[in-house]
Amino acid sequence: MGYIIGEEAKDLLRDVKEFCEKEVKEQIKEYDVSGEWPRPIYEQAQEMQLHMMDVPEEYGGLGLDHITQAALVEQMAWADAGFAVTMNGNGLALKPVLISGNEEQKKKCSEMIVNGGYGAFALTEPDAGCDASNGKTTAVREGDEYVLNGRKCFITNASVADFFVVTAMTDKTKGTKGMSAFLVYKGTPGLSVGNHENKMGVRTSTTSDLVLDEVRIPAENLLGEEGTGFVTAMKTLDLARIWCAVIGVGVAKRCIDEAAAYARQRVQFGAPIGKNQAIQFKMADMEIRTEASRQLIVHALTLADKGLPFSKESAEAKCFAGDSVMQTSIDAVQILGGYGYSREYPVEKLMRDAKIFQIFEGTNEIQRMVVGRSVIGKI
Amino acid sequence: MNILVCVKQVPDDFAKVHLGENGKPALEGIDKVVNAFDTYAVEMAVRLCENHGGRVVVATIGAEEEVRPSMVQMIAVGANQAYIFAPNTADGDESSVAAGLAELVKKTEETIGESFDLIMCGKESTDEISSQVGAMLAEKLNLSFVSSVIDVKPAEAGLCVKQETEEGSASYEVSCPAVVTVAKPEYDPRYPNLKSKMAARKAVIPYLSDALTPVQPAVRCMNYQEPAKREAGVKIQEKNAVDAVARAIALMADDKVL
Repeated sequence: MGYIIGEEAKDLLRDVKEFCEKEVKEQIKEYDVSGEWPRPIYEQAQEMQLHMMDVPEEYGGLGLDHITQAALVEQMAWADAGFAVTMNGNGLALKPVLISGNEEQKKKCSEMIVNGGYGAFALTEPDAGCDASNGKTTAVREGDEYVLNGRKCFITNASVADFFVVTAMTDKTKGTKGMSAFLVYKGTPGLSVGNHENKMGVRTSTTSDLVLDEVRIPAENLLGEEGTGFVTAMKTLDLARIWCAVIGVGVAKRCIDEAAAYARQRVQFGAPIGKNQAIQFKMADMEIRTEASRQLIVHALTLADKGLPFSKESAEAKCFAGDSVMQTSIDAVQILGGYGYSREYPVEKLMRDAKIFQIFEGTNEIQRMVVGRSVIGKI
Repeated sequence: MNILVCVKQVPDDFAKVHLGENGKPALEGIDKVVNAFDTYAVEMAVRLCENHGGRVVVATIGAEEEVRPSMVQMIAVGANQAYIFAPNTADGDESSVAAGLAELVKKTEETIGESFDLIMCGKESTDEISSQVGAMLAEKLNLSFVSSVIDVKPAEAGLCVKQETEEGSASYEVSCPAVVTVAKPEYDPRYPNLKSKMAARKAVIPYLSDALTPVQPAVRCMNYQEPAKREAGVKIQEKNAVDAVARAIALMADDKVL
């Protein structure tokens, strides 16, 4: 564990570890196969307050520091990536509210999460993935209301969310400066959840389309000012990318643990395969990559905590951790050989889970663009 | 209702314990946890108080720094107060532990200025597994006693308790104050939530260093033996099932199993 945490955090981590090992790790397997959302496990996790780690203390949250939170989220991801993604989805939805919302909005959304609700961040659209500014969803002001129309896709927690942060164009002529962010609550007429994705990995996290058909919301549901939605979304993603990296590291750590356990007990040619340098070197690379990912995370979180710019560093952490966990999961499957390819063993799931970390919260190609442009500067 | 739960910290029962060079269990490096049956007792007590009002006090005997984490954990899962008493005996037998606990009950009552209606213990500890201490405690306190309780509810005369039996269960009404030992109920103990754990870490847990009268145990453990290691088995390597079954039957017949 590369995070340097205090005694209180270690104590919390022990409890979370025990919970994850006894209530999540094994139970999650059948949900991974069926694709069913594991509500009972999430209800238990909510009782432990694992769903509200991003809620500030003044709004009823825990007031954990970022490094402690990273250690806990990594442990959750170690048990199941989808579990961590679901719990972390609340933070992703709350972040834009905390960035741009007014006091009442912050309080209301925080309370929803603290009381066991879920939030969802609805930015992505069929034609606006990496190119988020190309969104087609519109919001038109009519008196004291906005009318929203459009379709969002790949929305984590959409099918269970009590509130949504929805980005929409209020002025298409202004490009990114014409995008605004709105709070839309579950049950608003015209708001519906569409197609559920049958995903390759993180199958215990629910991902769906969100359809907005003449959705009328009060004008006070606007987050911040009109035209600030893109900036709000990008600031949200800056932090969300670090948590994405943290979850990836949790998956990588599980890959290492499973591969090491197998390397100790699998005997070939009269000796455990872990005695072979070929396996040792592979394990070493898995560990080096994973620890390096952690340290990039720590660096980005430290900058964020100090109020310093961290967009480049969060992109670096997300990109490196995403590529690392993918390679580490491939290595774990390789070390387990035929058994690694079988659903009898856990590493094939880890490999399916790992792929998303190169894709969501901005593909790793986008992360490289962020880092590259930052290094080269204005031309 | 005032409830006292007597809690013991034990080596993690998932860990494999071997004998050290001194012939005693080598417990270094093995995590310490609250005895599982004591966690059931605390959960049962907390549920009783949540549903019917009351207060749960937990107490243990041990070295302060060593057992404090277990007491913190019990506060995090719902106990209202915890006390730690310095040991009254080294390598105590069940009777001397029960004597210590009887004194602990009285001293705790004096400290809080109220008497307990119910005293609960796990039915056994997962390290020693003697199942004697709770009964002996009731005897020393001269209180009514029911063992292996899996449910407890208030009743007109005091408490209605359900006891796990070999065949099923039996229900009893007992007057208070009473001592009960607790078996595994239908539910599991709760996990502490993060906020309660953080608050519990700040709890003041009094350490009573000389409250218990030293006792000389009447029974001493002379030595421990590890279970005999299983001998290597016989591999049946016949190529087809018929021959393999025939070989297995022959082996069992030779050893007079059949």
